[in-house]
Amino acid sequence: MVVTVKECIDKTDEQLVTLTLKNQEYYLCLMKRYESELLNYIMKISNGNKQDAEDILQETFIKAYQNLNDFDLSLKFSNWIFRITHNATISAFRKKKVSSKTVSWEDKDLDNILQSTLNVENANIQKLSYEHILKIINRLPLKYKEILILKYIEDKDYRAISDILHKPMGTIATLLNRAKKAITRELKKEGIDL
Amino acid sequence: MKNISEEVFKKIKKENVKPKSYQYFATKNYFIWSLFGISIILGSFAFSMILFMFRQLDWDIYRYLGDSFLKTVFISLPYLWSIFLILFLGVAYYNFIHTKRGYRFRFISILLISLLASVIFGTGLYFNGFSESLESIFSQKIPYYNKLVYTCEKQWMQPRKGLLAGTITETRISKNSFSLMDFNNQHWEVNAGNTIWKGKLKPLKGEKIKLMGKMEDETHFIAIEIRPWKGQRQFTQ
Repeated sequence: MVVTVKECIDKTDEQLVTLTLKNQEYYLCLMKRYESELLNYIMKISNGNKQDAEDILQETFIKAYQNLNDFDLSLKFSNWIFRITHNATISAFRKKKVSSKTVSWEDKDLDNILQSTLNVENANIQKLSYEHILKIINRLPLKYKEILILKYIEDKDYRAISDILHKPMGTIATLLNRAKKAITRELKKEGIDL
Repeated sequence: MKNISEEVFKKIKKENVKPKSYQYFATKNYFIWSLFGISIILGSFAFSMILFMFRQLDWDIYRYLGDSFLKTVFISLPYLWSIFLILFLGVAYYNFIHTKRGYRFRFISILLISLLASVIFGTGLYFNGFSESLESIFSQKIPYYNKLVYTCEKQWMQPRKGLLAGTITETRISKNSFSLMDFNNQHWEVNAGNTIWKGKLKPLKGEKIKLMGKMEDETHFIAIEIRPWKGQRQFTQ
């Protein structure tokens, strides 16, 4: 039975998972819901090009489908799929399957990070170009970069980040705090005093 | 833009990709929880042995030996079982964080919960006499085990330092002396003329005792204080 997008529209992710296990056609709706969001996430985390990110996303969707019975319906599907995506990206990153290339972030993404981590009213910050800020973010260790992306770009709460990164919420708060300090440190290295 | 969802969907259909069964994940989950449970049980065994090792030793004789309390503690610590306890706690932690929601707990919380469980069960096992039986099995069946642990026998089998332990084999009330077979099956003549007998102890044949005093020569010992051998552990003679 072919499922139309209309049939999926009023259904929650969790309902779609249950339906997918009975009829695989519903999986297409789930994938379509997350395709662009996950693709952006992969590109920002890995700093890779679009082709690499698409390959990782394909791998992610297949892996998620194979592991659908492992999804705990009392949790959020979005956190679960982000977790699989995160693991696939890191794995590709480690295998160096991802060729490094500067990804063009949207200005609003960088604004979000800056507004949340630094005092953007500061005249010194306003002097910085987006390219410069992006360079600084990309220089951060992955553990800080991924947490900044999840919190300020993907707009995930602590519980969601905890479910995605498989770390306790207390650790998430600590990492976020350290990430903010790391940005400040990097800016100071550039001679920008805050 | 490339339609990834459509491509993946076609691939799933073409290659007949199927979700792994629910039973597969349930079994995997039970397996992880079982390993966690087993680690806690083994940790309990280790803790009961630590408790046994501590309780069987006499902690007041360091003054008699002229050693410091710290030195006595350092020598007497049950290192082997402590290593096992740490190891099992590590395995318990590893398995716990691999359960479905284990990652939500902090390292210290998991460690304390596992330790607490091992302490509670281990104490229960100790008071049920389990650790004593386990120690007896280990000392008899496991090669080199006795060399690796500091037991009550080791503590008291130091005749040159004035400590001796064994079973009374013959008493001579008129001479205030008795014969003793020590832990190493060596025969001793013990002079108990000026001895303090601790507890309700009487110089009877077959009585297992600990002696503090002075070694006269290779077969003669002057006892100053005699204590009953604590616990139910038998000398292997």
